[in-house]
Amino acid sequence: MSDVAIRMDAVWKKFHRGERHDSLRDLIPAAARRLLKGPQPAGELGKDDFWALRDVSFEVKRGDALGIIGHNGAGKSTLLKILTRLLRPTLGSYATQGRIGALIEVTAGFHPDLTGRENIYLNGSIIGMKKADIARRFDAIVDFSGIGEFIDTPVKRYSSGMNARLGFSVAAHLEPEVLIVDEVLSVGDYTFQGKCIRWMQNLLASGTTVIFVSHNMDSVLSLCNSALMLDQGRVAAKGDLKKVIGEYYKSGGRYRPELLAEPRARTVDFAAPSGGDLLVEPGERVSFTHVLTALADVEIGPGFFINRGEKAVVDTTYARMRGHPLRLKAGETVQVEWSLAFNLPAGVYEVGYHIGNIAGGYHEYQSRACIVTVGDDPRVKGDSYVALRLETQRVDDPELQVTASRAGVLP
Amino acid sequence: MLADLKGASVEVWQHRELLEQLTKRDIKLRYKQAAMGFAWAIFMPCLIVLSGLIIRFAMAQISGQALHSRDIANIAIKGVGWSFFVGALGFATSSLIGNSNLVTKIYFPREVLPLSSVAAQGFDTSIGFLTLIVILPFLGVRLHPSFVWVPLLLVLLVLFTTGVSMFLSCANLFFRDVKYIVQVVLMFGIFFTPIFFEPAMLGPRGAIYATINPLTGILEGLRIAVVEGRDLMHPITGMVKGVERQIWNPWELVYSAVCAVSILLGSTLMFRRLQPLFAEYV
Repeated sequence: MSDVAIRMDAVWKKFHRGERHDSLRDLIPAAARRLLKGPQPAGELGKDDFWALRDVSFEVKRGDALGIIGHNGAGKSTLLKILTRLLRPTLGSYATQGRIGALIEVTAGFHPDLTGRENIYLNGSIIGMKKADIARRFDAIVDFSGIGEFIDTPVKRYSSGMNARLGFSVAAHLEPEVLIVDEVLSVGDYTFQGKCIRWMQNLLASGTTVIFVSHNMDSVLSLCNSALMLDQGRVAAKGDLKKVIGEYYKSGGRYRPELLAEPRARTVDFAAPSGGDLLVEPGERVSFTHVLTALADVEIGPGFFINRGEKAVVDTTYARMRGHPLRLKAGETVQVEWSLAFNLPAGVYEVGYHIGNIAGGYHEYQSRACIVTVGDDPRVKGDSYVALRLETQRVDDPELQVTASRAGVLP
Repeated sequence: MLADLKGASVEVWQHRELLEQLTKRDIKLRYKQAAMGFAWAIFMPCLIVLSGLIIRFAMAQISGQALHSRDIANIAIKGVGWSFFVGALGFATSSLIGNSNLVTKIYFPREVLPLSSVAAQGFDTSIGFLTLIVILPFLGVRLHPSFVWVPLLLVLLVLFTTGVSMFLSCANLFFRDVKYIVQVVLMFGIFFTPIFFEPAMLGPRGAIYATINPLTGILEGLRIAVVEGRDLMHPITGMVKGVERQIWNPWELVYSAVCAVSILLGSTLMFRRLQPLFAEYV
């Protein structure tokens, strides 16, 4: 047996835009037309056809975790549907080894009128579990889902969170050799999400091959060891996790602020000391230098911000920091330096800048000037990195010892 | 071709537990929150027998002949068989569309969806047949050696129904008007199948036309083996309006069997070939 679990070889998939003939009445004229023209070759696009996947090739080794990322409509779902045998590629071939389990819309097999118990058996069989296996893992499934006493209630009375948790729990107990996950780790509350992440990490540790599709770069970063980015059906980047995620951030167009028709200031240079994208340790101090020049007499508030995904981590301007805008004469050039310690959890951050006027317009706006990847400090978990220090000291004071023993700390 | 058939049967066999679960689901859903409960299972056969009786009563009035209890038995046994066919087709035709959330999300051999519809209807119909076993002795039916034909006839009925169900479920996935065509055909199909009458009543030529319908051989076979208690191996003649006419020809059964098996094989093949397109077209 080779050590390749999944291989895709030059896969193309054609889709048809718009309506298909779905009544017999429409079929007959269409069939007659096709008879006259002859069948369309697979490699050609007809009217209203488009390629959802173009020439996609990749390999996943046994035990590896591949993250598939890309903006909406990039072809991620099509790719997953081919891997899970729901769609057949128009051209090209693929091969998978081992039992495939898919965590895609985990509640698809649920029937609202059946109870949680009945749905566990039904959904379990649908995703390919044996009845005996379901019976054996039944308690574990219920336990994982946290549904508890509601297990004999029809699922139509469940909240959407309970529904999703139960669906995920069933799928989580499939024990596949290749697991395909599509954006389902975001079900349930914070506790349940933590459970899911731990479960995924255990799977990875036990050697399960994983394909993980997500818009959440942090999950991709923490779970996968390589990534593949799709753009309009093509492989835009693949391989090194951080490089691919960086590509993803660069390619996306999100916030488009209104720019002034006649900018009166412009950036000459914006860079971190080493130039280009950065990889920093948590807590590391980094300076960004913004060199800008005025094209006319102007009052500006150069801004600096860091985004993580859709969220602003830092957002400030010269005017806010100093309490007054920066006054420049025509032709004057100034260097602004932003220095900060990356007291942030591991992840990928976009650093951007802008040159704003006092009225809220922008002479210039650049949201992805630099991508900073903050490394992981395995010792500390949490939402921010606070440069935590630990100090211990042996205590000899007898009075303190008595208090402690009364509190039940010491024997 | 053989590989496709083998693939289909191997995969369905591997997913027999799924088939069982889906069948259970279909049965449970029919009886959950249902006002009639298990009475539902014999509701349709009862209606069929009742409407048959009205027609036979009218016929008896015109021809001036009496209506026998045996006539009720005749209609009842064929009516239960017909209700299986109609019920299974009704549910199976929309089985792929009705489970489109599964068809587009999770891979499993899609054959199990129409199959589970047929199996769930089989459960309902077996309640009907059990009721029939209780009632038939009161209608003058006695145990005959010819009852050995019943299992074979039932198997043929199931094979034929399964074949047609798979074809229609698949056709309905691609063309949504198939469901309406099926509804209309089934509504009037009872007049194109000898349920309320025997083919011989249509005259010599009419009887031949009636046997074109593959269900004729199966349902008439059931009637003759159970109610008349005659062996199906040999041609049988009977008196119709004072004239001796052939009422059974063993070749009818052979014809029905050939039809059932070839429709089942053909639709399995078609289903298998088109299955990869289901998720795209559903």
